[in-house]
Amino acid sequence: MNDNHTPRNEHEHVLQEDLDGHTIEELTDYLESGRNPVNPSIEDSPACQRALEGLARLRTLTSTALEEEARSEPDVEEHWLRGVVSSIVAESRVGRRIPISDPDPSADLAITEGAVRGLVRGAEEAVPGVIVGKCRFLGAVEEPGAEIRISLEVSVLYGLPMHSLVTALRREVAKRIEQHSELQLEAVDIRVSDVVTRAKEEERP
Amino acid sequence: MREYTPRISLADADDRILAGRAADGDVEAFTVLVRRHTPRLRAATRLITRSTLEVDDIVQESFVTAWQRLPDLEDQGKVQPWLMRIVTRNAISRVRASRPYQDIDDLYSTASGDTSPDRVVENRAQMAALRETLDGLPSLQRDCWVLREIGGYHYDEIAEQLGTSVSTVRGALARARRHIIVRMEAWR
Repeated sequence: MNDNHTPRNEHEHVLQEDLDGHTIEELTDYLESGRNPVNPSIEDSPACQRALEGLARLRTLTSTALEEEARSEPDVEEHWLRGVVSSIVAESRVGRRIPISDPDPSADLAITEGAVRGLVRGAEEAVPGVIVGKCRFLGAVEEPGAEIRISLEVSVLYGLPMHSLVTALRREVAKRIEQHSELQLEAVDIRVSDVVTRAKEEERP
Repeated sequence: MREYTPRISLADADDRILAGRAADGDVEAFTVLVRRHTPRLRAATRLITRSTLEVDDIVQESFVTAWQRLPDLEDQGKVQPWLMRIVTRNAISRVRASRPYQDIDDLYSTASGDTSPDRVVENRAQMAALRETLDGLPSLQRDCWVLREIGGYHYDEIAEQLGTSVSTVRGALARARRHIIVRMEAWR
């Protein structure tokens, strides 16, 4: 940085004089640490207090202003949305190759991990009130007849009996795995990460 | 009579569930995330560039990056700050590439573009005032401030992205903050 007109020292000096020996950097760090441990020299300085108040206000203002601005954005246009979605590469998520045996030894059949994940997610269709999130296969799925575990994250609708929903989902997942693959399912571990409260209760038949 | 249980639609699901599905290849879940987060990303990008065409481009590019990197996202409940990181980084790179020159005395120069002191600024207008103030900052200070306060980047990450030192970033941020706070007094 080659600024010959304003020597660094002069600026440092101005900053220090203004804030009773403290700098804006220092005050920012102090604020970000939650003013802990308490620094009496900063707390007792009216100039620092003003600067701290300003820094805190700036942070609040930035996030509320951004929030307001986001709210006033027009609705997302469908053609733009389609443009974004068409530019992603869905095939990038195929995952591992899960073999399927065939009486013909020359046949080399397999299903992708991504496709099986889709089948597992689809189990939610049979269990209303549950939505499936992340799905993981633990074990050597590439080996024929491998023993594996499935780990699932789900959300359930508020007010429903969680235990019976989870049991029903586990049963449905096992059924689907048995129907569509040769994986030996050891267990389905389900973690309920959230309870969904619906804003609107429409579409009741 | 059996009670009807409504299904949970993707639009009702939280970010964590959607990000988990999108990481597993569910394009529909990703579409819901895009719809949900576009307004915020647009608003943030508008702070950095004025051109609507460029805003759309930057936001789109950021979602493409997000799709690619979703499987590596550690905490899938924190989609929003993560997207803000991606979009501010993209926007700053774009703006920097289009600048004809770098301010020579960026670091120590004082900002111009005063806002009138007796202006009454509330809610939405605060954003306009903030943008105006940011526009008055020397570019290094502005870039540092945006990456830190909107993108949530750490000092060392900002230094790396801008090709400068951590102490330069700290200095530029201090000056930017000081300038904005002084202006802010006038917005009350």
